[in-house]
Amino acid sequence: MGEVILTMKGIDKSFPGVHALDHVDLEVRRGEVHALMGENGAGKSTLMKVLTGIYTKDSGTITYEGKEVEFHNPKEAQEAGIVIVHQELNMMNHLTVAQNIFIGREFMKGILIDDAKMNEEARKLFRQLGIDIDPAEKMGNLTVGKQQMCEIAKAISHEAKVIIFDEPSAALTEAEIEELFKIIRDLRDKQLGIVYISHRMDEIKVITDRVTVMRDGGYVGTLITADCTKSDIINMMVGRVIYEEPKTHSMVAPDAPVVLKVEHLNAGKMVKDVSFELHKGEILGFSGLMGAGRTETARAVFGADRKESGDIYVNGKKVEINSPEDAVKCGIGYLSEDRKRYGIVVGKSVAENSTMASLLDFVSGLFIDKKKEVEVTQKYIDRLKTKTPGVDQLVVNLSGGNQQKVVIAKWLVKNCDILIFDEPTRGIDVGAKSEIYHLMNELAAEGKSIIMISSEMPEILRMSDRIVVMCEGRKTAEIDIAEATQEKIMHAATLR
Amino acid sequence: MENFKNKPLIKKLGFNRIILCGVLILMYFVFSLFSGRMLGSGDIKNALNMADYLGFLALGVTFVIATGGIDFSIGPVMVCAGLIAGRLLVTFGWPLWIALIMCVVVGCLFGVLNGILVAYMGLPSFISSMASMMLAKGVGSVFTHVQNSNWPASGEANSWYKYFVTYNGIPTGLIFLLVVAVLCTIILNKTKIGRYILCIGSNREAVRLSGVDTRKWEALAYIICGTLAGIGAITYVGVITQVQPGLGDEFNNNAIASCVMGGTSMAGGVASIGGTFIGVLIISLLRVGIQAMGFRPDYQYIITGIIVALAVFADIRSSARKK
Repeated sequence: MGEVILTMKGIDKSFPGVHALDHVDLEVRRGEVHALMGENGAGKSTLMKVLTGIYTKDSGTITYEGKEVEFHNPKEAQEAGIVIVHQELNMMNHLTVAQNIFIGREFMKGILIDDAKMNEEARKLFRQLGIDIDPAEKMGNLTVGKQQMCEIAKAISHEAKVIIFDEPSAALTEAEIEELFKIIRDLRDKQLGIVYISHRMDEIKVITDRVTVMRDGGYVGTLITADCTKSDIINMMVGRVIYEEPKTHSMVAPDAPVVLKVEHLNAGKMVKDVSFELHKGEILGFSGLMGAGRTETARAVFGADRKESGDIYVNGKKVEINSPEDAVKCGIGYLSEDRKRYGIVVGKSVAENSTMASLLDFVSGLFIDKKKEVEVTQKYIDRLKTKTPGVDQLVVNLSGGNQQKVVIAKWLVKNCDILIFDEPTRGIDVGAKSEIYHLMNELAAEGKSIIMISSEMPEILRMSDRIVVMCEGRKTAEIDIAEATQEKIMHAATLR
Repeated sequence: MENFKNKPLIKKLGFNRIILCGVLILMYFVFSLFSGRMLGSGDIKNALNMADYLGFLALGVTFVIATGGIDFSIGPVMVCAGLIAGRLLVTFGWPLWIALIMCVVVGCLFGVLNGILVAYMGLPSFISSMASMMLAKGVGSVFTHVQNSNWPASGEANSWYKYFVTYNGIPTGLIFLLVVAVLCTIILNKTKIGRYILCIGSNREAVRLSGVDTRKWEALAYIICGTLAGIGAITYVGVITQVQPGLGDEFNNNAIASCVMGGTSMAGGVASIGGTFIGVLIISLLRVGIQAMGFRPDYQYIITGIIVALAVFADIRSSARKK
């Protein structure tokens, strides 16, 4: 490790309603790989966005190469030598590798683009990195791993001095990860400063020199990786005081029948051999980090995405679910994590959204029975205490919590017994949150069975009767609430 | 102004539609002023004749646009239906009433084709309707050996099909269109079909995830559209009698322009049959008025183009304000 190249001190950033960063510190030295760790929403990405000028900080200082700096956009940061290699690759598949690397700063020959020169420069870069990629190949023909290498090459070509890797290994195979690590070590030996964001505990131990842990937007501490254990890091990540009362024991009767059984479900890359059971009146929490495959599992069960294999039993009977239509017929309702895109039709009214799934019950003769529609909608507005001026109000004008209630009403009108809540309180303010919690508990007490996917640890511990933990598409643990702790869950969520 | 817009009656009729009606009346007087004479019954008759068949096309395509799609095949499909039915009537001697039904059947079949291509096979509606547009032109030409289909002229035997357009000076075509427009309004606003079509245009994935078979309803929009193009063919032949192969493209543009002018959003989810109806009248009057002013009909295209751009601009502005 060499001298300090980058210091972020006391970085503070608030968004309306959220204190995203609370006086966070980060120090990166030349020739080190510095891990930045924390749960989802801990503030890692926000911190990096402040660094590269996507967000402006409210207070705090950034010192880079001995001078205080403030970047106003990623381009300025890039020109100064700070580059991010994103998890989602920003590549144009129909362009060649070289064209991608030099996009926006093409070599010109008069008014024409000099492709030959670009290929040659790209080849030089690859040689420097010790990778074998043909610069004239179309980007879309490369594996994800190779595409990532190209992204790194692009970073180097900017004469980067600090490179930030944002979960670079998420989509890579073992062999590709090896190659990636080789390159990272190489860059480290060339005295670059490297920030490495990852959830994979084992990788952190292998590749990084120091680790900075963040939690809930705050700075927890920095450790020398070689001197700490995996448990030390996990404890720092989850060591928060939980203000809400966690559930202490399951509210489900021991003899409650199984209403939904999923066996050996496989769907795409994100769902691998997942099996679980849901009991009547149970809230089954699905915990895990971003990209664990929880939403994908739910969507596959619901028939929203194709599944490759696996059996689903509803009330003990095997069912074929190949579309949401089939799932709804089996009494399964899905409340998406992305309400605006998948949950509600924003331009339509509360009544139209509430009856969306069960319109057939509202048709008398040829026409929609508006009176019945209004009546039923009003009933659920009263029951769920949805705050809306009326049934004709467009849902786009409601707050997040009330939009969520409209989606809940949609499935209750349809009389679904199995409800999948995917991040039920995302984007919902604190007051409305506890209302939604209350509602879910009520529903469970009435005998509805609930699957709750949540990235918020306190929410999982407060609501679930049992917890399934997933990591990279696999179920890694199933924990009864009586035995659940943050550490146990986080351990299972970072098993790799 | 805001108060005025929020009055219950105004809200019910739709502020934009009232403006459109104003535009329509204004246009009438402007044309009268500049052509140096009040537009008489002859001009009005011409305008209404065009409005008849254009109206059916526009009503149909309103359903498709409501889903967020587009159908460029309606004009050629209408012409194709007229060609095929005409040849069946004149050359093969089929009874007139069957020929008229055949118009609707041909239109419906093209609607089914578009529906399958877009909703079930996932082609972009822009492409699939271009394909069926060419198909319609080709089929019509091949079936008639590139000859005109000459329907019976007024006074000849088998000319009662013209009563769909006028009967003893009564504009039956307009009444016919009005009745269908009312039916369309009911379908769009009061039935499950309309509800799902509009919701698909608004947020298809949310509707699918509600357990609705979105493909079925989307296809239905194209079938309604094609069928209405087929019905339009009846009034089309009633107006022009001699159907030429290879025509029909310009009707697409006019029909779609009418929809957009009437407040139907190209992005889907928002549609107004009433607006489309007034849009059709405006476009038709425009054409007649420009001729009355002594310009060549070509100028109509220029003015229609400008009006469409302005109408869409106003639409975008007003929806941007809402956000």
